[in-house]
Amino acid sequence: MTFIGNNAASNSHESLRNPYLPFPMRVERTFVETSDRMLKSFDLAFVDKVDEAAFRFRPGQFCEVSLFGKGEAPLGIASSPTEKPLLKFTVNRAGVVTRALHHLEEGDEVGIRGPLGNSYPVDRFQGKNVVIIGGGFAFTTLRSLVVFMLDHENRKKFKEITVIYGARAPGLLLYKEELAQWEKREDVNLYVTVDKGDEGWNGREGFVPTVVEEVGPSSENAYAVICGPPIMIKFTFPKLADLAFPRERIYTALERRMKCGMGKCGRCNIGPLYVCKDGPVFSYAQLEELPKDY
Amino acid sequence: MEEIQNKIRREVVQLLSEGQVDVVIGFEQGSLPLRATPFFLRDIADANRLVWSPFCENNLATYLTKIQGKRVGLIAKGCDVRSVVALLVEKQIHRDHIVIIGVPCQGMVDRRRIEREVDGEILKAHQEGEEIIVEGRDFRKSLPRKEYIYPSCKRCEHRNPLIYDTLIGEKLVEEAERAYHEVEAFEKLSPDKRWSHFSEETSRCIRCYACRQACPMCYCAECFVDSSFPKWIEKGLDPSDVQFWNIVRAYHQTGRCVGCGACERACPMEIDLVYLTQKINRDVKELFGFEAGLDLDPPPPLSTYRVDDEQEFIK
Amino acid sequence: MKKLPKEKVKPFVEKLLQDYEVLGPMETAGFASFGRIMSPGELKLNYQNSKKTPKEAFFPQWEVMFRYRSTGQSVEVKSAEDTGRRRILFGIRPCDIRAALLLDLVFDSLDFKDPYYINKRKGTIVVGLGCNHPASTCFCTSVNGGPFSREGADFFMTDLGDGYLVEVLSQKGRKLLRGFDGKEASEEDKERAKAIADSATRGISSVIEADGLMEKLEKLTEAPFWDFLHEKCLGCGICTYLCPTCHCFDMADEAFDLKGQRVRCWDSCLFPLFTLETSGHNPRPTGRERIRQRIMHKFNYFFYTHKAIACVGCGRCIIHCPVNLDIRRVIDDIHRE
Repeated sequence: MTFIGNNAASNSHESLRNPYLPFPMRVERTFVETSDRMLKSFDLAFVDKVDEAAFRFRPGQFCEVSLFGKGEAPLGIASSPTEKPLLKFTVNRAGVVTRALHHLEEGDEVGIRGPLGNSYPVDRFQGKNVVIIGGGFAFTTLRSLVVFMLDHENRKKFKEITVIYGARAPGLLLYKEELAQWEKREDVNLYVTVDKGDEGWNGREGFVPTVVEEVGPSSENAYAVICGPPIMIKFTFPKLADLAFPRERIYTALERRMKCGMGKCGRCNIGPLYVCKDGPVFSYAQLEELPKDY
Repeated sequence: MEEIQNKIRREVVQLLSEGQVDVVIGFEQGSLPLRATPFFLRDIADANRLVWSPFCENNLATYLTKIQGKRVGLIAKGCDVRSVVALLVEKQIHRDHIVIIGVPCQGMVDRRRIEREVDGEILKAHQEGEEIIVEGRDFRKSLPRKEYIYPSCKRCEHRNPLIYDTLIGEKLVEEAERAYHEVEAFEKLSPDKRWSHFSEETSRCIRCYACRQACPMCYCAECFVDSSFPKWIEKGLDPSDVQFWNIVRAYHQTGRCVGCGACERACPMEIDLVYLTQKINRDVKELFGFEAGLDLDPPPPLSTYRVDDEQEFIK
Repeated sequence: MKKLPKEKVKPFVEKLLQDYEVLGPMETAGFASFGRIMSPGELKLNYQNSKKTPKEAFFPQWEVMFRYRSTGQSVEVKSAEDTGRRRILFGIRPCDIRAALLLDLVFDSLDFKDPYYINKRKGTIVVGLGCNHPASTCFCTSVNGGPFSREGADFFMTDLGDGYLVEVLSQKGRKLLRGFDGKEASEEDKERAKAIADSATRGISSVIEADGLMEKLEKLTEAPFWDFLHEKCLGCGICTYLCPTCHCFDMADEAFDLKGQRVRCWDSCLFPLFTLETSGHNPRPTGRERIRQRIMHKFNYFFYTHKAIACVGCGRCIIHCPVNLDIRRVIDDIHRE
């Protein structure tokens, strides 16, 4: 992509970087994640070194991904900053943009704006036990978080790491390669579950809330992060409450119809907070203060 | 007027206290001169807030598709009742969920035309016999009500509600102006003039969709302008998009528009496209002998097929 | 302070038109609107509030953000920012100037700068015009404004009947004095201007109770009040599109074969589509949540973020609502809750 910006020199006032202009990234690899082919991952490489250098992100942030002629879609970054220079996005085929994204091939270019939004409070997690609970295709930014914490430089900063991840069926689990690697590691407690197994499945069966209850991670000196379909969250949250996790130490990431990503276009707010700018990561203590507009 | 208003209040108190309806939709005094405002009445203690005046301009039938599941008492003018009939024919509402309190209508006053008759802001308005009296900082003017009713009211052939459960007041003598004179006048213009009128009027459109929202017949779960897959129209103000919106909105009313004028009254930009709906109304009448909202029995012509239907247009 | 006799307005504006793009109040289809004027005769300065607002000068209803062109697998993107335009907003009312100051908080915030807005805003000189006869629906004085508030103006005019009292309020405003053929204002003129302003301010008959509103709303978020407030609302976009402070927008791509453009256009929190998600889930599914959003945003959320109420009391939403849903009554009802 070539970018011909405006000529700022002719302006009397200081020139501004236009935050609405996407920068180019090239598709390096595409990978169909799930057996229903609804989820596909894209590893993207920066076309421009300047963009690459400027792009600093933390787990939990998202980008607006552009397909010109179709529009933009807000997508959580599924890769960890430790995996740079590639950025991974896992795309659920649902709307106009995501359907079109599924047709991308290696070598194609897309536009990116970001990183946008806040992130998981990884600084606050230092020296703590961290329980990560994910369901379905909401595991994308959780992958970023887990990979980040398991990075050899970072691992020592955190105490016990527990990951509970569930999907409806074995074929619908994301990131099977990573799950297999984490399974082998000593420094992470991984519990993968499916609602219903199939012939090839010899793992755990059961819903995520039940598994959380069975595993019973201690809330002492611990934080929990939970992302998944609303129904999973609805039933898991009481389990965490039973385990005495206080609301200030349970985090989730919200999804909204975010357009500008900068708190200006006005549609993604919950109360006075914008999911795109003040979120997407919120603690339950924060959410409790807000109108139930979600 | 006051007598009608009192009768309406008494009727409504009875309906609510007997539990025949959950809510009554009528009008209360507006906050501005020349205005009444829709009022959802549940508590009989509020019944004396109900008003009836030449300023009750909204078509209240538009709320019926939005307030499903409730038994509604509807205070309805002739045109509101035509909308109710059209909605019943299209099976959008249940007759036994609605109690129609019909009120013969002498026409509603065109507030914008009155505002243009005076220099300065109107601060007070009321009716005195056949006159509308408006007062401002340094003026008081009396205007004949009959001359200042909305064009759609002047054309109205059904001032008396066609169906009702209760009729408040005496039936009026129907005295409509010639029905299609706007479209007839428009048709006499040259194609260039017609085009420039259409493009000038639509150029003011801000796509606020007040016309759609005010219309009882615009009840589609997803309007074509809101569809993203497929996308039929862009969201902006490119003339082609704005014109497309206005044409399709009118044409989707084919055989359905009751000519109540709610779209025009709601339009903040005062866009005049009445000849479009008039044209389709006249065509439907000529081709199928059908006028929307007059009869509960025949299905609307565009949702049925008859062997003897006019087929000239496909030859 | 200077005085510009009425007969000198025409040559003054003509001079401005030589150097600037001039936007001002004009009459279209029988009502006042803001638009670009090409000759002084088009200006209609004795207007009450214009129907459409001058916010369009900075935040048009529809604008191109960038254009793109596909070349094989790559795409060429070219920004469509406005730059270097010299404009004057001539004869804008104090309420609408205040609205621009509120929009500055959104578009010129510390965290993200919106170049489309800022470029237009910075290149514009604001010529305010005092409001001699505020409408009965005006309540600017309840929301930190006033019919003769100079806040945000570069240049300010008071209609004295036979001429305008002219005040220069900024360096930007001073530029307009070049080519200005007026004389120094007399003491009598100044006194007359003050009397006019005082009388106009006293003449504001509408009031909303802004004190305590933010706190009151805080407690009302889940109140049954909202269940009934929205009932008569038609769900159209008039109050948002004719509001000088509403700033919500949508972004969309308009494609023509291999090239196209990304545009942004106004959007409204009263439209169901505004928040509808691809999954079909809508976090604001009914009129209840949508009208609550509009009221809360203006009088609570905006205050929370920017320490100001996002309403300037211009009364447009009151005048133009097709069902006469009156914000003054809504605020009264909120206080009564």
